Amino acid sequence: MTAPLHGIRVLDLSRVFSGPFATQMLADLGADVIKVERPGLGDEVRQQGSPLRDAAGRPLAWTSSFLAMNRGKRSITIDLAAPEGQAMVRELARQSDVFIENFKTGDLARHGLDYASLRALNPRLIYCSITGFGQDGPRSRQPGYDLVFQAMSGIMGMTGEADGPPQRVGYSVSDITAAYHAVIGILSALHARQSGLCEGQHIDIALLDCQLAAASHVAMGYLLSGVQPARIGTRSHFMVPYQAFDCADQPLVVMCGNDEQFRRLAAALDLPGLADDPRYAANLQRMRHQDTLVPMLEDALRAHPRAHWLEALDRAGVPCAPIQDFRQAFDDPQVRHRGMVTHLPFAPTGTLPLVANPLRLSETPVEYRRPPPALGEHTEEICAQLLQVPVERLRALREQGIL
Amino acid sequence: MSSLAGVKVLDLSRVFSGPWAAQMLADFGADVIKVERPGRGDDVRHQGLRARGEDGREEGETSSFMSMNRGKRSVAIDLSRPAGQALARGLAMRSDILIENFKAGDLARYGLDYTALAALNPRLVYCSISGFGQTGPYRHLPGYDPLFQSMSGLMSITGHADGEPGGGPLRVGYSVGDITAGFYAVSAILAALRHRDAVSGQGQHIDLALLDAQVASISHVAMMYLVSGQQPARLGNVSPITCPWQSFDCADGQIVVAVGNDTQFAAMCDVLELPGLPGDPRYATNPMRARHRLELVPLLERAIARHPVARLRAAFDAAGVPCGPINDFEQVFDDPQIRHREMLLSMPAGAGRTIPQVANPVRFSGTPVEYRRAPPALGEHTDEVLREVLGLDAAELEDLRRDRIIQATPAP
Repeated sequence: MTAPLHGIRVLDLSRVFSGPFATQMLADLGADVIKVERPGLGDEVRQQGSPLRDAAGRPLAWTSSFLAMNRGKRSITIDLAAPEGQAMVRELARQSDVFIENFKTGDLARHGLDYASLRALNPRLIYCSITGFGQDGPRSRQPGYDLVFQAMSGIMGMTGEADGPPQRVGYSVSDITAAYHAVIGILSALHARQSGLCEGQHIDIALLDCQLAAASHVAMGYLLSGVQPARIGTRSHFMVPYQAFDCADQPLVVMCGNDEQFRRLAAALDLPGLADDPRYAANLQRMRHQDTLVPMLEDALRAHPRAHWLEALDRAGVPCAPIQDFRQAFDDPQVRHRGMVTHLPFAPTGTLPLVANPLRLSETPVEYRRPPPALGEHTEEICAQLLQVPVERLRALREQGIL
Repeated sequence: MSSLAGVKVLDLSRVFSGPWAAQMLADFGADVIKVERPGRGDDVRHQGLRARGEDGREEGETSSFMSMNRGKRSVAIDLSRPAGQALARGLAMRSDILIENFKAGDLARYGLDYTALAALNPRLVYCSISGFGQTGPYRHLPGYDPLFQSMSGLMSITGHADGEPGGGPLRVGYSVGDITAGFYAVSAILAALRHRDAVSGQGQHIDLALLDAQVASISHVAMMYLVSGQQPARLGNVSPITCPWQSFDCADGQIVVAVGNDTQFAAMCDVLELPGLPGDPRYATNPMRARHRLELVPLLERAIARHPVARLRAAFDAAGVPCGPINDFEQVFDDPQIRHREMLLSMPAGAGRTIPQVANPVRFSGTPVEYRRAPPALGEHTDEVLREVLGLDAAELEDLRRDRIIQATPAP
């Protein structure tokens, strides 16, 4: 079966995170993604993370962070500062459907690679800019990384223990969130182009905007009430119970998404009458009376080890889960069943483990066609195929450091 | 004109991921019909806070409902009864996309599963969102956001280290697992729509699990585990692979600094008047700084603690050092950049009231997002939709209402 984005060519000038993660998704969906990197070092993310090791345990020149977001792409090295390099990128953009970049606002205009310049060559081009703060506004020219947007969007302010400081989410959630918006924006712009609503267009994605929008119902709670949501550890601002509890041995996350589940929890904990008590029968009442309710639940859950409760609550249909580290997560029977780790053939080590794409499409399943590329691995292939550069010229460009 | 003009979405989902995904499609111009059960409606109508009117009484829908249901029409239909199921099938036959988040297998009992509906409408893109997926040992279990935060490993890497004060796994303060699955749902739906329109002419089934989506989202941190076999340490606000990348105490509050390259590190040292550091081989490159973090960070802490937040921020901004304050929401919505980008908007919500909304962050130059409808009252559009899409007349609607198959509520 042909992949959903078969025939779509993506020219990817982005580095490090949001952009590469977005184009990896497009590659998973079947697009031909050409990753343009600077000669020499390439994408900075090739220098970040844990090294991949060979069978003898020796570190290789591949890092976990690069491997996490660059499968399915072809890598070409081009020096964007050289006019001839810029001309090559313009020619590739002329033959592409989608262009992604995350340079600081205005930087690509200096190279004649901004949206206005490329639209003149290819009006059907969908040009997606991803920046920290957006293409306009007082901070539009400031650099920024994930942590800055976690802090400024308010999500650190609402993450942490009640008596502790604001906490960062343990992964680069702001980068990833912006990447999802980029993918969604690009796919809907492709739809608009396909249905004749418009030709190409410019999409302006800001990490700060995206992270704030993703705060969603918690931000909305603030907007309606004017009250800053407190930091409350593992608890919820909107539901009770909904938190980690200590069992006799290890902690367990338990929650009730509706009143029927609370009724089942009370029965499983052998706390008769609790679900009929008017203080606890409905969620909004439980929120109000959590100070008396939660200690009763704590006492009950502390009486037995976690394995006992996992089994009993599963049987009762009460949502609950252990707090897993990665070894446990990747070992989890459901995670294994769903094939969330996939292995690709990979020359340096024979095989490479990757976290799978979670999209399960019945007719056009995600296909992993290429492992992450070595720097410039496809320079010659792309030059020959799309740019018709003769071999002698290729050699000269290489010697000048343009490729 | 928005990009998905003319696309019809039937939204049978409740609470979070599904409604969030459907709201995104509505923002992009799709016509979204939200089916709710008569009486109580979506559970999320009963979660969150309500605004208070001038008389101090609570009014309107809850904050949680309003954050994920703009742009939709609400139709109240009882899906547990055959006549209600027939109405839903009729709507599905005339839709491009169906979103549902019932427990795996539940909708088959109603004849509303993918197989049944694909037979009626082969062009339908049918997206199932569930906690654990349509297959596997946990497929029958219910699940909500914190379960997936804990099972995916996310909580194990969020918070301070176990030995430190306040240490232990933490939950991310918003429903990141739900939202992440919502993004994947939209991506998959749009990809399937393109495949239908550009290649095959056929719809398909999408099986999306919150647990899968959250595992995939952890991305490079999970990859670090897969490559090294080592569980990444819980480091509070410190990055394990980049340095300096953390919060610092200033004289009057906290600031976060995220230095992404060596030039920025040199600029930071310049501002802090630490001229020896960038040339020191222990700190010259990021991998070296990450390795010598425990020696480097105290030097930076001492220098930063002398400055007030505002002055340091201005100096870092001028020098191109990525930094930011740790905002609460009052500060967020007051931030000049957030205001400039118009991330807060206000929509009319009937009865002369307006409601606040957080804007959609995707900025299209050609097909901008349009906000056409406030979040609906339960069953506000029941009559309108059934008349328009299924051609029912007043007598038929009255019969259905009397039999309690549908519920229609006047606009507020």
